[in-house]
Amino acid sequence: MTEKNFIIAGFGGQGVLLAGEVLANAFMLAEKHVTWYPSYGAEMRGGTVNCEVVMSDDDVSEVNKADADFIVALNQASFDKFVSKIKTGGWIIVNSTLAKESKPRNDINYLFAPITKLAENVGNVKMTNILALGLLAKASNLVSLSSLEQALDNVIPPHRKNLLPLNIKALKIGYEYDLLATQV
Amino acid sequence: MATQVFKLPKSLKGDVKYSFCPGCDHGVAVRLVAEVIDELGIRENTILAASIGCSVTTYDFINVDSLEAPHGRALAEATGIKRARPDKIVFTYQGDGDFASIGLAESMHAALRGEKLTAICINNTTYGMTGGQLGPTTLLGQVTTTSPTGRNVEYYGYPIKIAEHIALCDGTAFSARVSLDTIANIRKAKQAIKKAFEVQMSRLGFGFVEILSTCPTNWKMSPQKAHERVRNEMMPIFKPGIYKDKTSQN
Amino acid sequence: MTTQCLTNKKVLTKGNYAIAQAAILAGCQCYFGYPITPQSEIGEFMSGKMQELKRAYVSAESELAAINMTIGAVSTGVKAMTSSSSCAVSLMQEGLSYATADQLPVVLVSVMRGGPGLGNIYPSQGDYFQATKGGGNGDYNLIVLAPSTVQECVDLTYKAFYLAQKYRNPTVLLADGLLGQMMEPVEFYDYPYPEIDTSSWALTGAKNREARIIRSYAPLADDQCVFLKKLFEKYRIIEENEVEWEEINTCDADIVLVSFGSTSRNVKTAMKMLREKGIKAGFFRPITLYPFPSKRLKELSKNVKKFVTVEVNMGQMVNDVRLAVNGACPVELVNKGVGAPPSAAEIVSRIEELI
Repeated sequence: MTEKNFIIAGFGGQGVLLAGEVLANAFMLAEKHVTWYPSYGAEMRGGTVNCEVVMSDDDVSEVNKADADFIVALNQASFDKFVSKIKTGGWIIVNSTLAKESKPRNDINYLFAPITKLAENVGNVKMTNILALGLLAKASNLVSLSSLEQALDNVIPPHRKNLLPLNIKALKIGYEYDLLATQV
Repeated sequence: MATQVFKLPKSLKGDVKYSFCPGCDHGVAVRLVAEVIDELGIRENTILAASIGCSVTTYDFINVDSLEAPHGRALAEATGIKRARPDKIVFTYQGDGDFASIGLAESMHAALRGEKLTAICINNTTYGMTGGQLGPTTLLGQVTTTSPTGRNVEYYGYPIKIAEHIALCDGTAFSARVSLDTIANIRKAKQAIKKAFEVQMSRLGFGFVEILSTCPTNWKMSPQKAHERVRNEMMPIFKPGIYKDKTSQN
Repeated sequence: MTTQCLTNKKVLTKGNYAIAQAAILAGCQCYFGYPITPQSEIGEFMSGKMQELKRAYVSAESELAAINMTIGAVSTGVKAMTSSSSCAVSLMQEGLSYATADQLPVVLVSVMRGGPGLGNIYPSQGDYFQATKGGGNGDYNLIVLAPSTVQECVDLTYKAFYLAQKYRNPTVLLADGLLGQMMEPVEFYDYPYPEIDTSSWALTGAKNREARIIRSYAPLADDQCVFLKKLFEKYRIIEENEVEWEEINTCDADIVLVSFGSTSRNVKTAMKMLREKGIKAGFFRPITLYPFPSKRLKELSKNVKKFVTVEVNMGQMVNDVRLAVNGACPVELVNKGVGAPPSAAEIVSRIEELI
């Protein structure tokens, strides 16, 4: 049985919960078992926000796991908090616009990309989260671009549908980002 | 040939023993409510949310569907009934302790929401059923079993003027205080009760009547003396009158 | 997220939204509630959807009011509910006791958080006692259903409405912050139970019949004895007919792990891990916490060497398992005070310490 879990973390307002929801929807559309679990409550006021997505071929074995296969850190605080939780051989995707390019461990893969800057180039800094998903899709090879596009359509409410093309554009720019150039 | 001019309203049960103390105004108040329900022709469509205290047994006498509410929660239960069945006429019959002490939040919020309900509150300045303790309407200086030297501000604070407070709520369509100490006042009381039902029926808002009432047993007075007390001690503080009437504002 | 529409296809949704949506599909006509984390999404969803459907929604002034509004609504024969969490469910205990005495089909969704007192907003199973033993006065039982997945939040919400009306007894859906906040794919479907006729007792106005009184006040001791006998005859029937549980690998098990609610996912995984290590472990999950599957646990105790309950509280359900087993074998506790359940690996290592 394959089971992989993902943590997406950042500061409040970066849309990390929504990114997780899109990812979880994409797994659901791919007929996987999936859970999404957020940090909630007082944590939402200011500090780091994160959510965990667990994807499995069978029943999800656990929620709120102690470690993760993939972590997306959209700011420095998230990098600091979660870098120790990555499984050996796992990945951390780091928003280098808001976090330093440091490598405290040598048993994991690092992907540094100026995600906020790339989102600004797309035309909206709020696309940071979705652009990060594109990077994650490419690095993990566990979720297809088309599932993510469909998932975006599921998640974006009817009155915001005008933002769908921009989201898809951000997703693709993330997906097409040159991993080899940044990966070590 | 004798003509019957006084008979039991259809909305009262004839075959039950009334459990109110002799001389207590509850009997008059319940009868007035029953007469109003008869006159409005709504008996078969009316539901009572009953309360706790001396008023608890009202459902034994009044001939409408009734739900017993926990102490203070009558207007919450009435809200539930009315929201579930907006076509029903729903009313509460409560004491001052139930309405204005333990249930003040439910009472005020039902009025603020403008629930299409009617609330009748008996103010007898004491907790009757439990034996005459100090309640929210106990007058300054009044001796009760829990204010043995009389209500003083330092220990007990002030009594609440219920009808005035309810009138302040924007959802209230009608708020009045009446007394039952004379025939004339009983007639006025009935008119007020009727109006409190009518504002519900016309969906204007919350209808409320505070009825100044006697408690001969706990006041340790004859019914006649008790009515004198209503007149001389209660009415100067709790002034009868109509404090809000949206029907006359239009 | 709050505007997700009613649909039959698989959707990814939070436990709280799943419960709310299922309640609407179950025909809940009235919702009354007061916000409290971690279940506020239920009221948020209801506020929009109930108005859209022209059903009743009230932002109650307190949980005291909310439970009593629910009592009022169900007394007229319609389906109605309230939802809350832990410290605020404490405020509803009086109403629940009355609703039991009045034999009214109140549905309460209780999404547990940390306690006692204000505690915190993290997941907890610390209100097992509150739900199954009651904080209200007098002799009574609430029917208590404990979902373990978001899909079960849907399934058991339907069931809560059905059982409440079938037995005219308040019914609690006992979820927790983890289930309330997490998302999983779920499928909604039409209410699968028969509609219960409430016309023989509901308050609808005394037209062409005698006036009805729904009351708990029984001034005479003898009357109350008669009522209690009748009430407990009802509970006997519920205990006979409505017990529900899940069990896996219990037939040859030396050690059976018992858990309820969201903790069960990790416990099931722990059981599998123990099996892989050659330990004959089984898994047992009460779905109805009242009626509790005591009889089945008693049967299992003939061959089982040890039961271990795994709970996110200081040890509550463990007492019911001990009562059921009645000394036939040891019943131990693996627990955590509050928060997400202990990991499967932690459960395994703590169970290895016990054997």
